[in-house]
Amino acid sequence: MFHLEYDVMVVGGGIAGQETSLNLANMGFKVILIEKEPSIGGKMILLSKVFPTLDCASCIATPKMSETMRHENIEVLSYSEVSSIERIDKKFKVKILKKPKFVREDLCTGCQECEANCPVNVEDQFNFGLVGRRAVYIPYSTAIPKTAVIDIDNCILCGACERVCPANAIDFTQEPEYYTLKVKSVVLATGFNLFPARKKPQYGFGMYPNVMDAMEMDRLLSPTRPYNAVIRPLDGKIPENIAYILCTGSRDVSVGNPICSQICCMYSIKQAQLLMGALPLADITIYYIDIRAFGKGFEEFYQQAKDMGVQFIKGKVAKIEEIKESGNLKVRYEDIEGSGGVKEMEHDLVVLSVGMLSNPQITSSFKTEELELDEYFYVKQTDPLINPAKTNLKGIFAAGTATGPKDIPDSILSAGAASAEVAAYIRSLK
Amino acid sequence: MTEKREGEFSPKILVFSTNSISDPGIDLAGLLKMHYPPSAYTVSLPCSSGINPDWIIYAFKKGFDGVFIAADGTDCPYRDDCSELTAKIVQEAQTKAQDIGINPARIKMAAICSVCAEPFVNHMKKFSEALIKMGSIKNESGGKDVSS
Amino acid sequence: MKKRIGVYICHCGGNISDYVDVKKVMHSVENEEGVVLAKTTVFACSDSSQKEMVQDILENKLDGMVVASCSPKLHLHTFRSVAERAGINPYEYIQVNIREQDSWAHSDKPEEATEKAIRLVRSGIRRAAQAKPLTPNEISVTNGVAVIGGGAAGMRAAIELADTGLNVYLIEKEHFLGGRISQWGALFESGERGEELVERLYKEIIKRNNIKIWTGAEVESFSGCVGNFDLGIKIHPRFIKTDKGCEKFEEIIKQCPVEVPDEFNFGLTKRKAIYKNYKKAFPEQPAIDIDNCTKCGICEQTCPEVFDFNQKVEKLNLKIGAVILTTGFSPYEPKEGEYGYKNSDTVLSLQQFRRLMELSNGKLVFNNKEIKNIGFIYCVGSRQKGGDNKYCSRFCCTAAIHTSLLLKEKYKDIKTYHLFRDIRTYGKQELLYRDSCKNGDIYLKFDENQPPEVITEGENTIVRIKDLLTEGEEIEINPDLIVLVTGMVPRNNERLEKIFKVPIGRDRFFNEIHPKLRPVETVIDGVFIAGTSQGPKNLTESILSSLSSSAKTYSLLSGGTLQLEPIVAIVNKNACEWCGKCDEVCIYDAIEKKEAEGKTIAYVNEALCKGCGSCIPVCEQRAIELKGYTNKEIMGMIDGIMEEVNG
Ligand SMILES: Cc1cc2nc3c(=O)[nH]c(=O)nc-3n(C[C@H](O)[C@H](O)[C@H](O)COP(=O)(O)OP(=O)(O)OC[C@H]3O[C@@H](n4cnc5c(N)ncnc54)[C@H](O)[C@@H]3O)c2cc1C
Ligand SMILES: Cc1cc2nc3c(=O)[nH]c(=O)nc-3n(C[C@H](O)[C@H](O)[C@H](O)COP(=O)(O)OP(=O)(O)OC[C@H]3O[C@@H](n4cnc5c(N)ncnc54)[C@H](O)[C@@H]3O)c2cc1C
Repeated sequence: MFHLEYDVMVVGGGIAGQETSLNLANMGFKVILIEKEPSIGGKMILLSKVFPTLDCASCIATPKMSETMRHENIEVLSYSEVSSIERIDKKFKVKILKKPKFVREDLCTGCQECEANCPVNVEDQFNFGLVGRRAVYIPYSTAIPKTAVIDIDNCILCGACERVCPANAIDFTQEPEYYTLKVKSVVLATGFNLFPARKKPQYGFGMYPNVMDAMEMDRLLSPTRPYNAVIRPLDGKIPENIAYILCTGSRDVSVGNPICSQICCMYSIKQAQLLMGALPLADITIYYIDIRAFGKGFEEFYQQAKDMGVQFIKGKVAKIEEIKESGNLKVRYEDIEGSGGVKEMEHDLVVLSVGMLSNPQITSSFKTEELELDEYFYVKQTDPLINPAKTNLKGIFAAGTATGPKDIPDSILSAGAASAEVAAYIRSLK
Repeated sequence: MTEKREGEFSPKILVFSTNSISDPGIDLAGLLKMHYPPSAYTVSLPCSSGINPDWIIYAFKKGFDGVFIAADGTDCPYRDDCSELTAKIVQEAQTKAQDIGINPARIKMAAICSVCAEPFVNHMKKFSEALIKMGSIKNESGGKDVSS
Repeated sequence: MKKRIGVYICHCGGNISDYVDVKKVMHSVENEEGVVLAKTTVFACSDSSQKEMVQDILENKLDGMVVASCSPKLHLHTFRSVAERAGINPYEYIQVNIREQDSWAHSDKPEEATEKAIRLVRSGIRRAAQAKPLTPNEISVTNGVAVIGGGAAGMRAAIELADTGLNVYLIEKEHFLGGRISQWGALFESGERGEELVERLYKEIIKRNNIKIWTGAEVESFSGCVGNFDLGIKIHPRFIKTDKGCEKFEEIIKQCPVEVPDEFNFGLTKRKAIYKNYKKAFPEQPAIDIDNCTKCGICEQTCPEVFDFNQKVEKLNLKIGAVILTTGFSPYEPKEGEYGYKNSDTVLSLQQFRRLMELSNGKLVFNNKEIKNIGFIYCVGSRQKGGDNKYCSRFCCTAAIHTSLLLKEKYKDIKTYHLFRDIRTYGKQELLYRDSCKNGDIYLKFDENQPPEVITEGENTIVRIKDLLTEGEEIEINPDLIVLVTGMVPRNNERLEKIFKVPIGRDRFFNEIHPKLRPVETVIDGVFIAGTSQGPKNLTESILSSLSSSAKTYSLLSGGTLQLEPIVAIVNKNACEWCGKCDEVCIYDAIEKKEAEGKTIAYVNEALCKGCGSCIPVCEQRAIELKGYTNKEIMGMIDGIMEEVNG
């Protein structure tokens, strides 16, 4: 049931937003969760397995998504954005824009008939361009809500979907809907952006087909993967000699991001272990500056990768060049630990371990006051040591990677902290 | 070392584990991809002090070659004397087994904690080896009426 | 017996189906007695699959359900609630573990793993056929939470819990609150001082009248059940009244003639028998260390009204609904001789060095020598290949680098050398590392197999390192002081671990159920863990977990009632001949002697029974069973496993 007043609005339906919503809902608060994509889930639902336990990401994420969707105290608005947040007395007036899906969520059964009949082919953003999708599409098989959405910018209005839909769910007359709500508190769980690998042109991403980023690799390894195999994009060949370039876009002043993303070492080691399982004959080399295996069970996970035969080279990679005939790649690096100097190695696939960047878009929604960000445009924690979810604005809290790089366990704990702080705050209003 | 050698049988082991301590330990072995004989089957209970000795005898009659009790030892969340109580159950079952002509060494007990993946795997390998030496339960008098 | 069972075999997106032939499993069980429907599913736990199950149950009027997927520790509740939504009693749902205990454990033998899966699923079907509907017992809960350990994590949790309206009992072993952070001075990343944070937290705590603090207190006993525990505590006297003040405590402390090594300063200094950890420690009154006090009576001469040497050990029993353990960590203490520790006057641990910095004003002096060059050796007691501590302690790289920044701020000319393996200043902490590099601090990298050598020749100490950053060149440095960058180890808390039966992880810290699903919960319902008791963490991270555990505790207790597992013993009245053995073995007083239908029998009080089943084997009549684990269910499972597999 949709209401006009909620205790808390959570913005962002990634793992942090879901966890915050569930915690608060279990305490008895009424929560509205706003997600800009057609499905909740964030980045985690797109991953393969997750370090350090190698649980499959879906096994953790899908039941959480399902519980979030179904909880009696949580209302989920997908494909929606917060257009404004205004403080009025002790509450906030928020305006939400629900974008038209052109598909009626209440009727759509997710049967995918429309997809099968749509003639349009565009890049699939949830597979990071590895494969195509239709103009009418279900984001991915584990999406929640699992209903279709029409990408109207690419739709040619041929009406094929409308004709085949057995549920009569296609509705081209849908308009954007606006809701105005009152909430007592807001949690920003808007997550992070991936570092765009194109910003490091010397690594050839976007130029050389066999250079991919780690998110693409995680998709290739995931159960909902596009090809059901790990293959080279150029020629579909099974790679035999794969390189990982750590710190792509992190700890790098030249791209304006000197901080460490704190997940890339571990997800690269994870992918290396998964690749060793999938391609037992492949050689895997990880070029690193420092291996930051710091969390519970991480160091052991790193040692395990070494024992499995993953090669670790302490070296800064300066340049990657394609060898025309083979599509293989020449990696030129400064050998820091070995005999020194600049060296070259050939690989048939290169994975760029891209880091996290902040996603500060939500700041523009604040109309009556300004949300403070830190130097790198993450939401600023104004009392990080004692009230880690607190922002400069009273009643506005932050969770997950919205405040800085974090892995999933830390995002979940920060969501726990945010829910506790919100609960205390709402009680203090009385 | 427990690779099946030509003509050798894989002894079937029934493992009684406990929901909050030893079963998580056994899960961890899987999580860490540690291998043990696949002919070991786990039935999880709240506490090993609640095992009915008759179940153990029943398992032999049905053709299990060995029964392993993965007890909680001192970690038992229910009671401090869990090990002693469980040991008594094992004794009772062993006496019963002997009475009907089953080698009491086919019943074994060890404490498996919630992170004891490696000890569990070692126990399974060793127990399996020992059972191979003892041979199939079908060759023992007590195991003969296994036709059902 | 149930006749309409639905069976679902999960691929787990490949985790199972890569090794187990799930289609074969499905075909092998679809004709089992009682099975109406058998399906495979890519992710049984996904929303669409859950919806499909509900639909199947309703359409086919199923009366039992089996899902063969991951360990029940992960998703038993997920599927129980599916069953419930479709009108099946949750206890008629059976989960079969074919992932952790099959596909993963036997990934080396796919064929045998498939056979095992078939047998396990069949045993689950047999169990489901026998399973009876059960109703949870609803109990009312006590509005009270004990927080054990009054460090930062414990203090923060106490405030949060109090704000949600719960009664909080904060129990600290020492006579002062605050734990370790009060020892380090300025903290990364905000630069705030530990003692000031402790003061902030303390002032918040005493503002709230639903927090009761006990210092000098330890836990003696713990019993009962989630929602209603009894916690026995023992409070050691302080011998100074905490409700009275005195202006002259400082003077009094000075006058005390007794001197013992000061633990708070890791033995660098001595303290008196009447002491405070530091000047502004809380509670404000000093405490008397009675074991070392000579009862000379000098202290009592000033402000006699605050002293009370007649105070006795006090014992209390607290009624609580849940407990959070925030008992913290200990800094690793290097072994004698480890990099020259204790064998040389020039080697200190990081914790000692931080105390030295705090105690120094003006110049940095140790053993009468002014310190101008310092060598930090990293990973001492962490990432040990052979040793016990395989883990990384996570805070120490940043702590050492932060220390070096603090040094530069205070003593411009100081030179620092950092002998490291990997610098792990993750996230924004990287900025501190950058600053340190900018300051000109020198970083040398050693290989784990070739740790630096510390050679002491009289007053002179030399450290030799093969520096990997300069092609393995052997470098010698000659620092005035060597600081061993020590990691975190679990606190020595054996008694407490025994009392609460907290599960211990491979790193010997307290272990949560699952880092992503239930990160602050333990297998003992109602016992939560937080802070560094769970493993190495910096302060922010400790607080994150402390607040998370408060949120979970509040969710648990806020409803006022709880549903308890209905897994309890049940007596077969016909078979029971009352011998009293069950009563003797039961430690929960759940067995009562009753007259019924003309004979004396045992009766189980379900509110007290915890469902361990200890009464089952002692009953000679075999008249007792455990609900959910009846003879029929267990024997059914054995049958299911042992029947031959064809094809
Ligand atoms: C390649 C790769 C592999 C990884 N592997 C692992 C691993 O193995 N283990 C591990 O622990 N971690 C891993 N991580 C890290 C993990 O992805 C993050 O820790 C986690 O996703 C953070 O969750 P979040 O909810 O904070 O952010 P996100 O996942 O980014 O979720 C944010 C959500 O908010 C929505 N949103 C954003 N802005 C708005 C807005 N203005 N309005 C409404 N909605 C909005 C987004 O659409 C999204 O759904 C990996 C990351 C990458 C890139
Ligand atoms: C040298 C050094 C420098 C550091 N610098 C920083 C820094 O700059 N920034 C940062 O963020 N972090 C820093 N840390 C880490 C920081 O100290 C910890 O994160 C923090 O202290 C953890 O708090 P806690 O409450 O979990 O544990 P603790 O501080 O250990 O507190 C635990 C409390 O529980 C009590 N207790 C233990 N057992 C019992 C029992 N059985 N019964 C009752 N009470 C009990 C103890 O007496 C203690 O008061 C540093 C650590 C070290 C070693």
